[in-house]
Amino acid sequence: MALMEEEKETAMVTPGEVLGRISEIKPGRGAYAATHNDTVYASLTGFRRNIPPAIDSSDQRPIVEVTGHKAHGPVPQPGSIVIARVTKVMARSASAHIVCVGTKSVREIFNGIIRQQDVRATEIDKVDMHLSFRPGDIVRALVVSLGDARAYFLSTAKNELGVVSAESIAGATMVPVSWTEMQCPLTGQIEQRKVAKMAS
Amino acid sequence: MEYVSPEGLRLDGRRPMEMRQIRAEIGAVSKADGSAVFEMGNTKVIAAVYGPRQVQNKSQQMNDQALVRCEYSMANFSTGDRMRKPKGDRRSTEISLVIRQTMEACILTHLMPHSQIDIFVQVLQADGGTRSACINAATLALADAGIPMRDLVTSCSAGYLNSTPLLDLNYVEDSAGGADVTLGILPKLDKVTLLQMDSKLPIDILENVMQLAIEGCKAVANYIREILLENTKQLEYRRGV
Repeated sequence: MALMEEEKETAMVTPGEVLGRISEIKPGRGAYAATHNDTVYASLTGFRRNIPPAIDSSDQRPIVEVTGHKAHGPVPQPGSIVIARVTKVMARSASAHIVCVGTKSVREIFNGIIRQQDVRATEIDKVDMHLSFRPGDIVRALVVSLGDARAYFLSTAKNELGVVSAESIAGATMVPVSWTEMQCPLTGQIEQRKVAKMAS
Repeated sequence: MEYVSPEGLRLDGRRPMEMRQIRAEIGAVSKADGSAVFEMGNTKVIAAVYGPRQVQNKSQQMNDQALVRCEYSMANFSTGDRMRKPKGDRRSTEISLVIRQTMEACILTHLMPHSQIDIFVQVLQADGGTRSACINAATLALADAGIPMRDLVTSCSAGYLNSTPLLDLNYVEDSAGGADVTLGILPKLDKVTLLQMDSKLPIDILENVMQLAIEGCKAVANYIREILLENTKQLEYRRGV
């Protein structure tokens, strides 16, 4: 017990503490390598963790991570899958609020935009935005770039991306029936959406 | 007026190299992403950090790194004479810029492109050394928010009165007309991020005063690390239950 406590005690780090040398370890999450010397420092408060390298990798240095309970809300990055809520649908684009990055909910609002050419991979010229999204829809999308000054550029041009949840005019959550249609369980009304293919 | 007695005691009973009592508390503002209260003697400062969040002023957005903004204010009741200064007076603007530049030097802004980090610092009680306390409070709040930093920036002031270097001036010593040096450093990296001085000082004495301030900054850094580690331990204990 004392040994474990002592080990846990020494394993806690705060920003600026030295974790090792670049020639010996690789900085992971919560650590960084200083450019002016070859030292790896912690950038977060938390527990130091050593991850052994993969057996087949050429770089045999272990990865040092600082995992803790002090991490800021996630920031969308190009290539990350986000969950967004559509706020406005226009003729050539749809605005959305990013609410999740990966499996983490964002703490602050980030704006995203789905352009007409990013809705689906086929028949790009014939996309009708109003038949793909409605305000209030929950969408799974891919961040393609940091976008312009207004919003991140999102794309749903894959089978797994698109509307994951939508409400019908009657107010009930609709059931997807194909990749372009959703059906209201109360009234049976069929509505057009760019539907995401759900994992079975 | 005599600020250091022949026995080597100051007006409040401290030795020349003694700091006032430091106290800090994490998580004072529940709505903020990170917050802290920091006290140095009778100086009390509260800091709140919001972000990283979307940039509100589009013209200031930077595509490759986070934008750091800081707002400093003093409560009307924080000094002996009640103040009614409007927001944005020259001193507040100067201190806001100083805190912003100090924090920009230590935050790893390139990890959060296209975003904004807001730091709000308010002085609740002023008794000298307010900008040092503000920088220490902002550092604690940033660490509480989980913003990645190169190091914990800590700050301390020092002065020179009655031919004696003094550490951590209070209001009476600050008003005595002697030199007042405010220093901000990255203690583990051993770099200076802030250096300000009022009045005149010979350069050899300045080096002595700076050395004293560096010792004070490192003492503050040790205390801040203790606070952070204790807070992390408590969180781990609660999560373990």
